[in-house]
Amino acid sequence: MTFDFALAWTSLPALLNGAWMTVLITVSVMAVGAVLGFGMCLVRMSRNRALAAIGAAYVAVFRGAPSIVLLYLVYAGLPQLSIVRDTPLWLLFASPLFCAILGLGLNHSAYVVEILRGGLSAVPAGPVEAALALGLPPRIVFVKVRLPMAVRYGLKAYQNEVLIFLKSTVAVGAVTIADLTGAANEIFAMTYDPFTPLVTAGAMYWLLTNGLRLGFEALDRRLNRHLAATVPDRRPATVRRSRPGLSLFRQPLVRRLPAKPAARETH
Amino acid sequence: MGPALPIPTPTPAPQGAGTRLRTRAAIELRDLRKRYGEQEVLRGVTLTVERGEKIVLCGPSGSGKSTLIRCINGLERHDGGTIAVNGVTLEADGRGVQDVRREVGMVFQHFNLFPHMTVLENCTFAPRQALGLSAAAAAERAMHHLARVRIADQAGKFPAQLSGGQQQRVAIARALCMDPRIMLFDEPTSALDPEMVAEVLQVMEELAAQGMTMLCVTHEMGFARHVADRCVFLDGGEIVEQAGAERFFVAPESDRLKRFLRQMLH
Ligand SMILES: Nc1ncnc2c1ncn2[C@@H]1O[C@H](COP(=O)(O)OP(=O)(O)OP(=O)(O)O)[C@@H](O)[C@H]1O
Ligand SMILES: [Mg+2]
Repeated sequence: MTFDFALAWTSLPALLNGAWMTVLITVSVMAVGAVLGFGMCLVRMSRNRALAAIGAAYVAVFRGAPSIVLLYLVYAGLPQLSIVRDTPLWLLFASPLFCAILGLGLNHSAYVVEILRGGLSAVPAGPVEAALALGLPPRIVFVKVRLPMAVRYGLKAYQNEVLIFLKSTVAVGAVTIADLTGAANEIFAMTYDPFTPLVTAGAMYWLLTNGLRLGFEALDRRLNRHLAATVPDRRPATVRRSRPGLSLFRQPLVRRLPAKPAARETH
Repeated sequence: MGPALPIPTPTPAPQGAGTRLRTRAAIELRDLRKRYGEQEVLRGVTLTVERGEKIVLCGPSGSGKSTLIRCINGLERHDGGTIAVNGVTLEADGRGVQDVRREVGMVFQHFNLFPHMTVLENCTFAPRQALGLSAAAAAERAMHHLARVRIADQAGKFPAQLSGGQQQRVAIARALCMDPRIMLFDEPTSALDPEMVAEVLQVMEELAAQGMTMLCVTHEMGFARHVADRCVFLDGGEIVEQAGAERFFVAPESDRLKRFLRQMLH
């Protein structure tokens, strides 16, 4: 089993095509997940018992079902219903791409609901009460104080979820879409070399996930620059306590802030 | 700076929905009641704060001081009695709450600044969103009040970069940016390191000297003696005693206040 560089090179266009499909689906699912997830989170957190129950059921169903099952259901199951088959909706559901984005989007949005809900309930009451006490309407308090803080609390969990579902997009092969894995498989079928195309595809997934990770980290630094400014003093306690004149190396009395936001430990 | 205006004796007016009390008092509480489940936290508090008056409210932990303050601007709903702020009635169902909040600013024990906004943004946020001020006008107003609390040079920083005393002064400036006629303080110096208490009290004393109506929960006796027109002792959800600062601290009448003051001095 050797890596065939020539084959990798000639199959690059086909793999890049597949990778493009993977990116397209990922970005679309993220958009669907953001919209549905936000909306259903409000439903889930509604004070109205019935609405909250609907939200809880939504999460239970779409988070509980494997995405491939959801894909099959949307692609093959829903068109059995006459409301889908005999109406213009059919135009949408006849498209595998639409079904893939909807199926994965339902699954992803259920996670977004829970991540956002966790973030919202982690927001301390203090700043929210302060905003209300200033006479701001509750809607503005939610949009400008509670939500921005919740997004910051939830960002790490959201990043994890996006990276996981990016890799789970391989399931779209089930509804005949040729994504990155599909393209690699096709080359395998034609050349009987499983190793070269799959390793190349694996490297592309690696690039995608790490590109995404870097993007999230940049976003995190930007959103949390108000925290980056307060660098905890990580010097050993003995050094921290010692007077500057007594230590071996000159310690500035006031620890200067780094020019760039300090790299926070990445988990 | 005592009450300057003649005070009409509060007549027990009929209290219907939307009633506007035609009194001149800044805050008028009548038989205010609040319960959490079974526990009655405010048991009929009647208190009038005249315009320009400074009142210090103190009492043991759990006596209902925070609850009283928070009922006045509708952060808690009251269960009985009436609340009127500058003649605007705050109904138990929450009607009138936005009008009341326009009149009163509040300062919290734990500052409660918006952590993701700079000091300047903390101060311009409400004037822009609630009063519709332009960015420039809001910034000008914010800088004026930040200068008043002597922290204008930190306007570009985030709250986490400031000391507790600085954060509390920003919180005061933030409240002032909405031009309140009345300021409520809930133990504004209790969460501060001792060396930062003075800078916050000084700002509050200046505010008092400029004629602000203040209702302040604090156990800072020095502040009470300098500033308070009246000290009110709350215990078990009731006002047990009220008097001018000197008499309050030197010659308390009730045993409960005597006991409380003895404990505070230890
Ligand atoms: N949200 C709440 N739910 C239930 N009980 C509450 C709530 N808030 C306050 N209480 C209770 O009401 C009583 C009065 O509380 P409050 O915070 O007003 O006291 P306080 O005088 O401000 O005390 P402290 O000096 O400790 O701040 C306490 O017994 C407290 O346990
Ligand atoms: Mg309290």
